[in-house]
Amino acid sequence: MQDLTFRVQRYLPGKDSKPYMQEFTVPMRQGLTVLDGLIYIKENLDNTLSFRSSCRMGICGSCGMLINNFPMLACHTPVEELNTDTITVKSLPNFPIIRDLVADLDPLFEKHRSIDPYIVMAETGDLNKLTAQFLQSGEELQSYLQFAYCVKCGLCMAACPTVSTDEFFLGPQPLCQGYRYCTDRRDTGAKQRFEKADSGHGVWLCHLAGACSEACPKGVDPALAIQLLKRAMVFDSLRLRKKPEPATPAQPIAESKPKIEVPEFTVKQ
Amino acid sequence: MRETKLKILQYITGIALFFFVGTHLIISHLGSEEVTEWTSVADRAANSGWLVFYIILLLFGLYHGIHGLRTIILEALPRLSVKSLDFTLVIIGLAIFGYALYIPVSAF
Ligand code: SF4
Ligand code: SF4
Ligand code: FES
Repeated sequence: MQDLTFRVQRYLPGKDSKPYMQEFTVPMRQGLTVLDGLIYIKENLDNTLSFRSSCRMGICGSCGMLINNFPMLACHTPVEELNTDTITVKSLPNFPIIRDLVADLDPLFEKHRSIDPYIVMAETGDLNKLTAQFLQSGEELQSYLQFAYCVKCGLCMAACPTVSTDEFFLGPQPLCQGYRYCTDRRDTGAKQRFEKADSGHGVWLCHLAGACSEACPKGVDPALAIQLLKRAMVFDSLRLRKKPEPATPAQPIAESKPKIEVPEFTVKQ
Repeated sequence: MRETKLKILQYITGIALFFFVGTHLIISHLGSEEVTEWTSVADRAANSGWLVFYIILLLFGLYHGIHGLRTIILEALPRLSVKSLDFTLVIIGLAIFGYALYIPVSAF
């Protein structure tokens, strides 16, 4: 099999004035992913190359990179699918670079935190002080399930043209998660999230270009969530939004005696 | 929810402008030739119905255009203070409205 050329972005803040590209030759093998190629470089060619990865199976969201000019998870991108033997790898755009291919995802996490991405309960304030268990129908689960698959990889934020022009724009991931919790019947925090999404750098700056949904490796559709959030906010503003029925508390588990008595130990302990 | 309310107005004026600009274009450019003659322009200017029509067209067009401009400026210059931008745009909007209102009202 033909060798591959990996053009990899290198950058060490404090030493390099700006990022530059370095080339490496990596032997091709069937099923090789971009992450495998980077691991090969680190283990055999240059152990100073820095990148982030953990699960190697598209679950942790650590290995987001710009691969041949498209934001992708390196562990989830087989080289064969790129249809080229030259692979260009850069750190995720719209994020500061920590070193080489490691993007600083703090802006994403801060914006995500700012939208209250958890179930807010009117009575107790949070889920950790539950007073009851709540039932959920399959339909209710479906209303937000796809948005709950988000692994916070930041690919959507890297793809979004609005994030690239306005660094304060909340962005697809936080807005999508804001909507995810607003649709949950156990949640009573929709109003406070609407207020946060209503800023001059909030939901209304989204152009619906859909680049976020195209980039998402988990099949989440942040552009759809943003449209649904806009609709909910318009209806709420016009006082036409139907107040969701509060979640149904489950019956407390009945106290029951074990049906079969536990036999005595026959062997001396 | 201030931004949402401004956006709702943007949508309403956008939809209404289809009707107002459409009517204006049909009357001024697609109708029979006389509509652009001085007498017919003066007739329309003297008609209170048309006066109200043009004032609404002016208001809606101005709001829609200035709000669109605000969105572009906010995105292009994200560090700009929203309050001072809004203040500037409101002053510009009022100045244009006053000047543009003077023409049909003085002709009335
Ligand atoms: S749809 Fe909105 S959030 Fe998604 S990429 Fe486009 S502008 Fe960004
Ligand atoms: S929405 Fe998709 S692309 Fe964006 S952070 Fe979540 S999993 Fe990643
Ligand atoms: S290493 Fe976990 S998603 Fe790629």
